[in-house]
Amino acid sequence: MRRKGPPRLAMRLLECRLPPAIREAISGDLHAAHARRAEARGLLAADLWYWWQLMTLRSGALKQASRRLSAIRPTTERNRPGRAAAVSRTPVMHVNDLKYALRRLLATPGFTAVAVLSLALGIGANTAIFSIVNAVLLRELPVDAPQDLVELYTSDSGGSRYATSSYPDYLDIRRENDVFENVVVTRSVIGRIDLDGAPQVVFCELISWDYFQTLGVEMALGRPFVEEEDRTSGTHPVMILGHRAWTRRFGADPGIVGETVRLNGRQYTVVGVAPAAFTGSLPVLTTAVYLPTMMTDIVLGSRQLDRRGNRSFFLKARLLPGVTVAEANASLEAVAASLEQRYPETNEDRVMSALPADEVSLHPAVDAVLTPVGGLLMGAVGVVLLIACANLASFLLARAEERRREIAVRLAMGAGRVRLMTQLLVETTVLALLGGILGLVFAQWTVGLVLAFQPPIPIPLDLDFSLDHRVLLFTGGVSLLAGVVFGLLPALQATNPDVAPTLKSTGGTASGASRSRLRGTLVVVQVAFSFVLLIGAGLFIRSLQKAETIDPGFDTGSGALIWPLPELAGLESEEEVRVFFTELGRRLRAHPRVSGVAMTDRLPLGPEVRSRGYILPGVPAGTPAGDHHIDNATVRPGYFEAMDVKILEGRAFQEADVQGERVAIVSRAFVDRFYPGEEVVGRAIRTSEDSALRIIGVAASTKVRTLGEDPRPFVYELWGQLGYWGLQVVVKGSGTSEELVDVARETLHAVSPDMVLLEPIKTMDEHLALLLFPPRMAALILGVFGVLALLLATIGLYGVVSYTVARSTRELGIRISLGATTRQVVAMALGRGMRLVLVGGLVGFLVAALGTRLVSAYLFGISATDVATFVTIPVVLTIVALVAAWIPARRASLVDPVRALRAE
Amino acid sequence: MELTLSKGSHLGDLEELVLLCVRRLGEDADGAAVQAELSKVAGRNVSVSTVYVTLMRLEEKGCVHSWKGDPSPRRGGKAKRMFALRPQGLEALADRRAIRERLWAGAKASQSEAFGA
Repeated sequence: MRRKGPPRLAMRLLECRLPPAIREAISGDLHAAHARRAEARGLLAADLWYWWQLMTLRSGALKQASRRLSAIRPTTERNRPGRAAAVSRTPVMHVNDLKYALRRLLATPGFTAVAVLSLALGIGANTAIFSIVNAVLLRELPVDAPQDLVELYTSDSGGSRYATSSYPDYLDIRRENDVFENVVVTRSVIGRIDLDGAPQVVFCELISWDYFQTLGVEMALGRPFVEEEDRTSGTHPVMILGHRAWTRRFGADPGIVGETVRLNGRQYTVVGVAPAAFTGSLPVLTTAVYLPTMMTDIVLGSRQLDRRGNRSFFLKARLLPGVTVAEANASLEAVAASLEQRYPETNEDRVMSALPADEVSLHPAVDAVLTPVGGLLMGAVGVVLLIACANLASFLLARAEERRREIAVRLAMGAGRVRLMTQLLVETTVLALLGGILGLVFAQWTVGLVLAFQPPIPIPLDLDFSLDHRVLLFTGGVSLLAGVVFGLLPALQATNPDVAPTLKSTGGTASGASRSRLRGTLVVVQVAFSFVLLIGAGLFIRSLQKAETIDPGFDTGSGALIWPLPELAGLESEEEVRVFFTELGRRLRAHPRVSGVAMTDRLPLGPEVRSRGYILPGVPAGTPAGDHHIDNATVRPGYFEAMDVKILEGRAFQEADVQGERVAIVSRAFVDRFYPGEEVVGRAIRTSEDSALRIIGVAASTKVRTLGEDPRPFVYELWGQLGYWGLQVVVKGSGTSEELVDVARETLHAVSPDMVLLEPIKTMDEHLALLLFPPRMAALILGVFGVLALLLATIGLYGVVSYTVARSTRELGIRISLGATTRQVVAMALGRGMRLVLVGGLVGFLVAALGTRLVSAYLFGISATDVATFVTIPVVLTIVALVAAWIPARRASLVDPVRALRAE
Repeated sequence: MELTLSKGSHLGDLEELVLLCVRRLGEDADGAAVQAELSKVAGRNVSVSTVYVTLMRLEEKGCVHSWKGDPSPRRGGKAKRMFALRPQGLEALADRRAIRERLWAGAKASQSEAFGA
């Protein structure tokens, strides 16, 4: 539309330079002159002329004259209320603004409640989710010069570039590099401390003595380790306590340094307490105890430190000044090549590499999975915030429309524009503040909700998500900005000095129409966004349904799961371990309620992913080393019967096999992959360490790592043939899982009352819940946010339709008096609202159809464009939208034509 | 000869012209009209700032008074500021005129001398 009147900006600037007393007069004169010129010589010439007027304005002289004049003007003229307020800006005026704003907000409680609630939901959800994502993924280590820190990795034989390193390799890297100021190691282990006779499982870190010094972390109490304490294996039982462990478990005892603490049955002397800000090398998991690396063999009960092939340490290094990560990588390459030459049996094809520490959150491989999840979360809450802001904007626009007359009257009475704006601004700010406060409450509640859904992983989690104040400020700021922009834009228009038409007019003006369009657009955007979120939620819910019907290939019925940690319970020899598990198995089987006991060192669908190299005669090698990496587990006889995994060919393990030649059972998928159509029973395969295994049976395939996977080759070995180590015990039988848990607990207590467990005995359902945790979490979050978004969009739609009806009362009155039926009138009002929904729905449909591909990796058994979801969601959305639009549209039929025509 | 000059009758040249325009325009005297009148009748093109500075000075001197006029869409809804002569203004104009006429009366004689010579 062609602009009428002078350029806006020039006009505003001009008005700023004019003294209030004659502002209107001069501005008006120039406005009229501009119009004359525009007619005579065209708009461009008129605009240029106007700008020239602005530049040549004698602002100083005018102001001086105005001042002198105002000194003698009659007081009645100067003291008109609006004008006076514009001139004087005492704090009292702002208090009045505040009072007025509160009064106005309270006068329209419905509007206020919706606006505040919208904001609170947006701010709260964002603050909560960002706080969590921040804690897990974006955490900054509280260390000195983090930009100089790098993480070092050694590749593993499974093809992962970023895996852990061995201690001998670490010593060589430390000695032979020329790029690092220092290199340190850390290894996380689970330990048990005895506190007043009660054992507690805690998260420990084995660290090199100069770990804290290298990171630049100062002790809160005592001192860090010294070199002496980390020189010889097992000779210096000293520990540093984590700050939280110190406060929670030792009551922040200031005299703790020098005291002894029992860890895994051994006395350690506390030498220091880490600061509160440093919670350990990994986010989320808070380290309770730090020990020197030289205590590794003692803590783990096996020789690990001098084995170059035992790679379980994380390495961190500080770069020398001026050294880049690329240079560090080049140096590591040289070290790795030299190590490969000297130790080909352990270091062949091992690549060593460095990554900047601030690019790694948990671990490169884990980050790759978690980052998109975090992104998904942030995206979902971001959309909710957008919708909330759109709601606020929509309401403010409607409100400004309603207040046009009020504003026009006040302007005509001489109220200053700045004054009116200040007041609208105060009102918006009050809204945003109320929203922010409620949002904080909501955020706290959301964090609590999310924490209640803690992942069921078998590690004692010590989660602490404090609300992030930066996020609160950010989201609050965004909402405030949205409020100010959408609150002030219409205010600017409304305070446009086009007073007379507004005062006289009965219907919409051009700016009113554009505001309606803006509100309509906002509804379209809201509907589109909530459509996308709902589709996402729908997909995950469907996926969850599918996942729950997938047959994992073993009996998932009632059962109890025991996860003992014999090495933490003081069982030091393999014989003790053998006796414990044999006795536990015997007693469990003897129990009348127990029908079977499965013992394995790796549960299917468990948290552990493990594979090992097998050499398969007659099959082309899968890796450069000539072997195939195949998932495996070591089980005791009775495993297949108890887990109800069918033996398809050959036979299951028997007790007698333990003493004989080494045997293995392979899965159906193993045969299909490597020996399709061939007879494998009786065939010999070898492990990479070159011991031969004879295949004695073929078992049905089970799901191994995830429910969604294709059948995965699997090798079962027999416990006892290579040695005895810790197993997980599944107790199956009659009765509920809970009853079996009780049986397991009693039996365990009878066998070994002091046994340490990784986690309390749990049911098989709880074990399987871990697997369904990610899709369940995604469905929950997207579901909650989708419903939230739908709710907000519904409110927005309701508002727009009811406002349209209210505004077109006159039109409706005319139609009714001309004979339109109730139904026609309602249909008309409804149609306007539903058009917006239709457009929003179409946009949302397109975005969803394209966008859901991004999450297809997380879906089980359905495609990203699942038809059922893409049909159901639009239907649900349409029904909800119809109701939201119908309620206010119905009001159209209640219009009394006589009153409607007289009213305006 | 004694002239009793009331307060505000020290009129500058432009002030006199502006005051005369206000008088000529009668009920239609606002800033823009005065500016146009000055240009049309007196051939003086002055800026809008100058017109208003002068008008305000005249108001300060008590020669004119002003009030808020009607807004119009053509003015972007902004009200005019209307001006009208006050008795003091009329007096000041009359004084100026009297002075000039007296001065002109003298000038005639010398002129005729010059031409008649």
